[in-house]
Amino acid sequence: MKAFGNYHPAVLMVYFLSVLLVAMFVTNPVLQLSALSGGALFAMALERPGNWARDGAFYVPLFFMVAVTNPLFSHNGVTPLFFLNGNPVTLEAFVYGIAIGVMVIGVILWCKCYSRIMTSDKFLYLFGRIIPKLSLVLSMALRFIPMFKRQMHRVSRARRAMGLYAADSFTDKLKSRMSVFMAMIAWSLENAMETAASMKARGYGIKGRTNFSLFRFTARDGVLLSVCILLLGVTLVGTAMGEMAFYYYPRISHLNVTPLALFLYGAFGILSFLPFFVEIKGALIWKYYVWKM
Amino acid sequence: MKKWLSCGIFFVVIPAVVIGGAVLFQEKQYAWITLWVTVLSCVPFFFRFEKKENNAKRLILIAAMTALSVVGRILFMPLPGFKPVTAMVVITAMYFGGEAGFMTGALSAVISNFSFGQGPWTPFQMLSWGLIGFAAGLLAEPLKKNRVLLAVFGALSGAVYSFLMDIWTVLWADGTFNGARYAAALVSAAQFTLIYAVSNVIFLLLLAKPIGSILERIRTKYAL
Repeated sequence: MKAFGNYHPAVLMVYFLSVLLVAMFVTNPVLQLSALSGGALFAMALERPGNWARDGAFYVPLFFMVAVTNPLFSHNGVTPLFFLNGNPVTLEAFVYGIAIGVMVIGVILWCKCYSRIMTSDKFLYLFGRIIPKLSLVLSMALRFIPMFKRQMHRVSRARRAMGLYAADSFTDKLKSRMSVFMAMIAWSLENAMETAASMKARGYGIKGRTNFSLFRFTARDGVLLSVCILLLGVTLVGTAMGEMAFYYYPRISHLNVTPLALFLYGAFGILSFLPFFVEIKGALIWKYYVWKM
Repeated sequence: MKKWLSCGIFFVVIPAVVIGGAVLFQEKQYAWITLWVTVLSCVPFFFRFEKKENNAKRLILIAAMTALSVVGRILFMPLPGFKPVTAMVVITAMYFGGEAGFMTGALSAVISNFSFGQGPWTPFQMLSWGLIGFAAGLLAEPLKKNRVLLAVFGALSGAVYSFLMDIWTVLWADGTFNGARYAAALVSAAQFTLIYAVSNVIFLLLLAKPIGSILERIRTKYAL
């Protein structure tokens, strides 16, 4: 299910950039935790339950690697826990390592969701008008890739039929892959030139041509866009006021829990959990329709 | 109108975003500024390309070279670390100029990340591969004649690629440039850096001549 992916590409782009901006550059632990958990839930909603364990096996060790190694690089902080080779390992550096781990994993998860939601067609639709020639090149390259892959298989099958097997040795492997690649290059460049001739014959570059697209900006896109801009604005104003300032060095500062700060945490919390709620709502509606049948 | 708009973007919006962000995110201001410098360094290349490039054949040739470098990355998957992307970028630049090289490099980064995962590293990959291509375009004639120079260029670009990518990782994690972390990142990636450098040399030495002759032939046959 990709209920969230049905929004307009421009809205999705603004949304992802807002969350990533805060997750990458604001150092408040509450905001980073809510970015991490929102991203994790969203990624889980997009992934089949069977793959959760596999992904976890990648992210959890990565988190520990980032968190545990930080005290080795950084000896700032005023509370030494113990000494290693004459260098202090401080509580602050250790806690800061955990904070970096939360930030890095959170950002990677959000980028993963971005890749799943912002497919290349949406990307091209967004940038097609600003950078038309570049997006043409991009979309042609994207179309060439499956075509070249198919050709690559054809060439290697033909070589196998001729009895040119690749042996196990490294140089043999390299050689056989290389000759497939060379055959591919000659074929694909000729093919590209024919495409160019065909494009020219069909009037590429003539004025007044329009592009086809399936995306329409509807009322619900407007709602999501304004909610997103509002919440991001609130979060950034809060950051500018220093309401969510938090320091790890030299001494870990206290977390601000004034009503205003709580309000700001709530605002960013809603922002980072939005896609998860949308996905859940989509899934429930789907279940309801299935049940009604 | 259009002129005023682009003036406004260049002289008001961009400085405001960069400076505003640096003030707002004081802890991470180095990372913020580095990210913007990277993104904005790509802009003039793209801008010029949009303005200048009108030849459909050249556009498609760049698309095809980009696709080939991405497919090459898949084709050589059984040999870990061996990616012909840099070699393809350099060869494109040698025969079709620095701008074509920059475009092939930057677009290869974007496209291969559609399958290998986009992230905050995408702009840095775009700029690194793009600049390798642009530099190869500037050195096109000597690179075509001298195979030793070509090998040195390949090895250097493999190393530079790794060095550039790690700078940002460190700035983003620490807020400042932490020399110890940078050194650790370089050491832990040393094995890959070495494989990149070696594979670039091998690919360039093996591919430059034959692909060059294919490209020369295409150029005369289709009047590019």
